[in-house]
Amino acid sequence: MSRKHKNPNTSIHRNDSFVAVDDYDTRMYILPYLIDEESRKEIIAEHEANPLYSGTKPGQPAPMYSKALVRLIDKLRVTPQKNKLTIVESKPWEEYKIGILPGNRGGKIIITEESYTTREKAEHAIFLKRLKILLDQYGIDF
Amino acid sequence: MSENKEKQESMLRITGYSDKFSARPGEEISFYVNSEFDEQYQADIVRLIHGDTNPDGPGYKEELIHSNISDMHAGKNQQIYGGSYIFVPNNELFNVNSFTLCAYIYPTTPYVDVEGVEVGEQAILSKWDAENETGYGLFINSDGELCLRIGHGKGKVEEFSTGKPLYRKVWYKIAASFDVNTGKVFVFQTPYVTHTNSGHGMSMLHPQEDTLGSYHGTSLMGGPAVNDCPFLMASSTLKSKSGRYLTGGHFNYLDDPHEIPIHTHKYNGKIERPKIANKALELHEIELLLSCQGIENIPNELKEVVIGAWNFNANITPNAASTKIIDDSLCKMNGCGVNLPVRGVPGFNWSSDYMSFLHGPQEYGAIHFHDESVDDARWDVSFKFKVPESLKSGVYAARLRVNRLTDSENEDYIPFFIRPAKDAKKAKLCLLMATNSYMAYANDNLSVNSAVAQLLTGRVPLIQPNDLLLNEYKGYGLGTYTTYRDGWGVNISSRLRPILNMRPKYIHILSPSLWQLNADLHFVDWLYEMGYDVDIHTDEDLQNEGVELLKQYQVVMTGHHPEYITEQGWHAIHDYQMQGGRFMYNAANGFYWISTLHPDNGNLLEVRKGDNGTRAWTINPGEYCNAFDGKHGGLWRVRGRDMCKILGVSFTSFGLTYSSYYKRSPDSELKECSWMFEGIGYDEPIGDFGLIGDGAAGLELDRYDLEKGTPHRAFALANSEGHNDMFVTVTEDSTFNARGNILNGTGESNPNTRADIVYYKTPNDGAVISFSSMSWLGSLSHNNYENNVSKLMKNVIDGFMKDGPLP
Repeated sequence: MSRKHKNPNTSIHRNDSFVAVDDYDTRMYILPYLIDEESRKEIIAEHEANPLYSGTKPGQPAPMYSKALVRLIDKLRVTPQKNKLTIVESKPWEEYKIGILPGNRGGKIIITEESYTTREKAEHAIFLKRLKILLDQYGIDF
Repeated sequence: MSENKEKQESMLRITGYSDKFSARPGEEISFYVNSEFDEQYQADIVRLIHGDTNPDGPGYKEELIHSNISDMHAGKNQQIYGGSYIFVPNNELFNVNSFTLCAYIYPTTPYVDVEGVEVGEQAILSKWDAENETGYGLFINSDGELCLRIGHGKGKVEEFSTGKPLYRKVWYKIAASFDVNTGKVFVFQTPYVTHTNSGHGMSMLHPQEDTLGSYHGTSLMGGPAVNDCPFLMASSTLKSKSGRYLTGGHFNYLDDPHEIPIHTHKYNGKIERPKIANKALELHEIELLLSCQGIENIPNELKEVVIGAWNFNANITPNAASTKIIDDSLCKMNGCGVNLPVRGVPGFNWSSDYMSFLHGPQEYGAIHFHDESVDDARWDVSFKFKVPESLKSGVYAARLRVNRLTDSENEDYIPFFIRPAKDAKKAKLCLLMATNSYMAYANDNLSVNSAVAQLLTGRVPLIQPNDLLLNEYKGYGLGTYTTYRDGWGVNISSRLRPILNMRPKYIHILSPSLWQLNADLHFVDWLYEMGYDVDIHTDEDLQNEGVELLKQYQVVMTGHHPEYITEQGWHAIHDYQMQGGRFMYNAANGFYWISTLHPDNGNLLEVRKGDNGTRAWTINPGEYCNAFDGKHGGLWRVRGRDMCKILGVSFTSFGLTYSSYYKRSPDSELKECSWMFEGIGYDEPIGDFGLIGDGAAGLELDRYDLEKGTPHRAFALANSEGHNDMFVTVTEDSTFNARGNILNGTGESNPNTRADIVYYKTPNDGAVISFSSMSWLGSLSHNNYENNVSKLMKNVIDGFMKDGPLP
């Protein structure tokens, strides 16, 4: 159903300023690490090695991500919920499937057949998929 | 009654709730079960011991209790009819021919909700049969315009609309009238905007014509068809009989339980001064009606035609908890607030001169309705369990298994707590179960609804069958960690509905593993393994019985996160400590939020998050005070009760991710303290292991703070270190954010990111020890319970259980 009463078609109603600054930040501070293939591989390898952090060992620094991965992963995590990928527990401690969120309350969660044996593996698979979506938005081959 | 709509695959097929959280031997507990697909199920009573299914730990443990309810039961689907409204029982007076309806309204989803989803038609004031299309009502139509509907029977509905959209968070004066003799119809919506009355909304409404609208016309179809529907505010009637009744403490003023309808066209927003007359009134008469709360300024001639004038101010002192809605008209058609609409909220005339309905009640004459709120699921009783005299105090559950299947889609647990018999010899130890907090965290649905949750936890949420069922029903009424779909925070949580994240085996979104009840079972299991005799009580028991309950015990202990405490509970704990009680706080971020139980029904909890503190939502202007007790809500510290005063520590940081460990501090070698560390080397890291984030210091952390009330002779026994960069500073400790201001920093930069183990003595040989971490208890079972967290806990408990002065 199309809306009978339209909002004024202004930048404020479209939230153009937020979109513009977010785009600037992405191009300036995130994409440079991703356009460079070597750097991108390093970021992906860093995530694969430690997809969830881990407990701190006495006398050692807390396991944490590089600045490049922090910026990227925080951006990927905070994208809107609609069609966002999630992990569905299909068999506790044995099988985790990839799900797709509806983006609205009460909507159906689509559960795909793609499954992993640990949350860590599912987490990394989702990281790669989210990364591809981001790169596609900027026309960068992945 | 099963719905035919296609349901979510893989979701939990059975769930339920009980009529009480805690019971003593000899008492009876009723259980209410929804079998989603009408399937039969096996019910049993089990004692819950360890709820963590992690293969790295001791694994899941429960004990079957032989009882009369162990059997197959016929299952039936039971739905929740959420959404708050006011119900005025059907009366022939309301089957009018000519009429006027008027009110002030403040719509919060006139067209779409905060997610952009169209809300559809919403009823403001109605005597409307939505199925048979009879009666009349003032509605917001699907284009977001105010409209009058007159129903003459199926397919014969007249709608008269203002043609202008209503705006979100703008007050309007609205009215509609119909004269059956002349056929004249009049509808109007007029914005009523002051500097302050919108709260967070615009006050410069220009051009006003964009939303100022009216309709003048005629109808030749006669008056509305009569029906047997009740008169509703904020809803209309889908079916006039639901088979469900208003019962329970918050309806204790009713002589007989009233049967309520199945309602529809649920409205989000505020209503104030709603009135109905059995005559088409002139504009100046409508203005007169809207000028007063009830009918106090109305001339006698006009009074006679007013058949409903609900005064939302009438009975809100000293609290705004009553569900009784007073009709000031001569007809005295009082109503009932169903699903707890929020009373005592700022009205169309709110000036900000008063910040509470107690101080300026004349400016708090509105009620806020939300289409998702739930006070009571009102399901039919499925079975009752009489607690045997011999049943030991502990954590129990009704275990439900569809067709006796044991997988996570077919199995649910309804937890409850058994207290010792009143006259029984008490154990020396008491474990206080944080039932207020279980209620506050109920049904957050953050896995599906929240993007920020992924930042808080640093991971993709895990969706379990419980979450899928919860999402199917839009949160079953949600909890205080969420917002309603109009953006307002959920301030009331009921336990008279399934709380799907308060279950054994459940992995919680806010933790790498467990949270709340299931995490508290780590402690229950350890106490059981160590052979301690422990009595269990709940927050509600403490509320009812006060310090006298605690004084029966040598040692009172918390679980891992008793965040929500009432004023009475806070005082009882302080008094216990003063009178020689020994208190173990095995938690972090405890006793943080002001929490209030409904004065007539302890199954209902209210929390207002204020505009300060580490919070899930921010209060709207003028809404700081609890409806349930009229007092200021938010952080306990704003009412002079920082947790430091009863724990010696205060909330300092959180990171819902991986954990760290503790190192001993010099005070731990003092003679007053060293007994606790017997068998633990000074340089030994404590708790670099565990089932919550791999360490004993994690999730949320507290630190000592002399400025906030840590007693002057308190000792710091140990502190954690090495928290990662997901640990952030609590917002209430942050003033100016500045790069380099390490006190606002994250785990790797802010030295206040730590958990302090603090110990101090209190009068009459009492004592307090605070472990200051939410993952502490998750480390107890490591290495088959042989580890330094377990040892330290045992040393403290054994020492605290001894009579006489402490070293």
